[in-house]
Amino acid sequence: MARIKIDHDKCTGCRHCEIACSLNHVQNTANPRRARIRVMRDHNRYYPVIAGPFVDAACTSKVFVEIGDLQYDMCAVCRASCPEKPYFIEAETDIPLKCDFCGIPPSPSCVRWCNSGALELVDD
Amino acid sequence: MNGWIGRCLRVNLTEGKHSIEKIDPGLMERFLGGRGLGVKIFSDEVDPQTDPLAPDNKLIFISGPLVGTGALTGASCNVITKSSLTGTLACAKMRGHFGAELKFAGFDMVIIEGRAEAPVILSIIDNKVKLVPALEYWGRTTVDTESLFKKNLGNQWISRETFLAAIGPAGERLLPLANIVNDRFLSVGCAGIGAVMGSKNLKALAVKGQHSLQVADGNRFVQVVNSLINKLNSSPLTSQSMSQWGTAFLVGLCYQKGMLPQNNFRGGTLSLKNIGTEALNSAFRLRSRACFACPVACIKKTDVKHPTFEGRGMVPTYLAIGSLGVNCGVSDLSIIGTANMLCAEMGLDPVATGGTLATAMELVEQKALTPEELKIDLRFGNGEAMLDAIRLMATKGGHGKRLGQGGKALADSFERPETFMGVKGLPLAPFDPRAIQGLGLHFATSNYGPNHLYGNTFIDELLNAHEILDPWDIKGKPQLVKDYQDTTAVMDSLGLCSWPLMGLKFKNYVPMVNSCLGTSHNTDDLFLMGERIWNLERMFNMKAGFSDADDCLPDRFINEPIEEGPGVGQVSRITEMLPEYYRLRGWSDTGEPLPETLRTLGLENS
Ligand code: SF4
Ligand code: SF4
Ligand code: SF4
Repeated sequence: MARIKIDHDKCTGCRHCEIACSLNHVQNTANPRRARIRVMRDHNRYYPVIAGPFVDAACTSKVFVEIGDLQYDMCAVCRASCPEKPYFIEAETDIPLKCDFCGIPPSPSCVRWCNSGALELVDD
Repeated sequence: MNGWIGRCLRVNLTEGKHSIEKIDPGLMERFLGGRGLGVKIFSDEVDPQTDPLAPDNKLIFISGPLVGTGALTGASCNVITKSSLTGTLACAKMRGHFGAELKFAGFDMVIIEGRAEAPVILSIIDNKVKLVPALEYWGRTTVDTESLFKKNLGNQWISRETFLAAIGPAGERLLPLANIVNDRFLSVGCAGIGAVMGSKNLKALAVKGQHSLQVADGNRFVQVVNSLINKLNSSPLTSQSMSQWGTAFLVGLCYQKGMLPQNNFRGGTLSLKNIGTEALNSAFRLRSRACFACPVACIKKTDVKHPTFEGRGMVPTYLAIGSLGVNCGVSDLSIIGTANMLCAEMGLDPVATGGTLATAMELVEQKALTPEELKIDLRFGNGEAMLDAIRLMATKGGHGKRLGQGGKALADSFERPETFMGVKGLPLAPFDPRAIQGLGLHFATSNYGPNHLYGNTFIDELLNAHEILDPWDIKGKPQLVKDYQDTTAVMDSLGLCSWPLMGLKFKNYVPMVNSCLGTSHNTDDLFLMGERIWNLERMFNMKAGFSDADDCLPDRFINEPIEEGPGVGQVSRITEMLPEYYRLRGWSDTGEPLPETLRTLGLENS
């Protein structure tokens, strides 16, 4: 199955993937808030997050994960397009977004514009 | 409108009011946007004789039309004002994500006028424009200001997407060496604008928004950007050197060619071993960070560990290593990194600060300035004292006060102007103009003082990216300088970063511009616009009191040959190149644009 592998160690935070996704899904339009991939930042790391299934309720409990001496908010790296965070709710239309794994072949738009190797299409 | 938002926000701080204006499409066409349009509007609205710190001076933040559209490196936001350090125009290039976010917030440009009674932060978040009282932020470092502002927003989702550009304590104290810092640590690379912002009592700008940008032909645009990414990847300079070390990779090259200045441009015997890329790798753990939509990712972040500064920070760039390091005789990378971070926190420009310190150190060596008087043991090579001096400078503490006024003021106050290595009051970027003739000519003639970013001739002279040129030769250099100056004017105006010119030719960008904006430009008419912008800037500076007498380099470069190293025996041959440069520009012998030149450029009424 083809899937997108994310290596956040490599991500540079350039957000070119966001625009690639937006341009592919909304004709001639560049807007990160209309992309199905968003790059979150926590402390000194960037986490590209690809929008997952829409859920109409947010989690009722918060999850924090501690790695080393830093605390990470799991909401930031969760892929649900849920009402808790406005990230995967499309600006201008308010529609919840979900990645449709666009563009194979040759490869999804976001992967094609990601030059750092953080996003990779793998087939196994 | 393709690329553009088409709206301008005008904020009058004196009255605490703002208004939203439409941008004149005629002006967009003639001046491209970004730097060009900003300079046009600035020179129409502000008297060139204005005191930079008076409320009449304005501050324009403007993102080019390609910014935010996904165009390759379309990230840069220009800040235009009259500089309080040089008295010329100032046009800073803001990197990072601020520029793109300004567009998403719904504005191509923000014009700031007047002076607020008490400190404020201009917040443009989700279509709400507000002036937030900023007393609690006053006195804070740029990094603190950003963290506190985001915390006060009270919603992590909003604060994650908000970007700030702020001044530090140096700007608040109206130091001419101050600049603006955005996205936490990115210095905008232009001294003399932080104080203008401080004089307006404006601590910061915060932007966030949801607006969409239109591109003319999305399919073609995506294809062109793809092919540009591939081209960049096939050039070792961008895909390896820049991506791995950022501009710091230039240190070794400049050293080998004798361009890296040591001890206030008087030469020295530092070893490359301590400052080259290998030393960089072992001193820091490098993390690559990119400006919006940039595949190169030349920004290197790291953790800085030093008693004076500890925490997340930047790996020193070429400019920092040159100015705050070797030119002050310091070759300890951890000190240089710390000095660089201190500058970012305090809102000081690293190049101007380093240049000023080098002047001070030379004055100490000549026994004009005594360590007793300064209360710090400031001398070439004493890194710890340099750190103290930076802190004192920024806070105007104790004896740092004199330093904070800049190298020129300092050298003049001791009647030793020859110790100041700069042009038009701005210290030189760390390239020795004796060993790189074209860049020297650019330093002398640049509208923004001796900053290499407004005419990157080193791309050919040093890196031989497109043409193999001998840096010591002057043949063809005036043309090279003019071409690069015009090219950068175009790139800045569109909102593109000029570093990737190491891997791409300017003509490669043209299809991207056209498919994005729906225009049908060719290389020649874009160059003509660059020339128009350069001349417009020149005319502003002339009205502000500058003339051909200011198109010069410090005497040291003309009279004293390099004493040792690979560049030994070289002097700057600027006087031979200048007449040819004026002629190519269509200027008179005294450097004034001729009436027919202005007519060809359509500037006769400006
Ligand atoms: S695969 Fe396509 S839809 Fe999914 S995030 Fe990437 S660009 Fe967007
Ligand atoms: S394009 Fe790649 S490197 Fe850039 S933000 Fe997206 S995932 Fe990160
Ligand atoms: S090359 Fe460097 S400065 Fe230029 S846009 Fe890319 S990351 Fe930013």
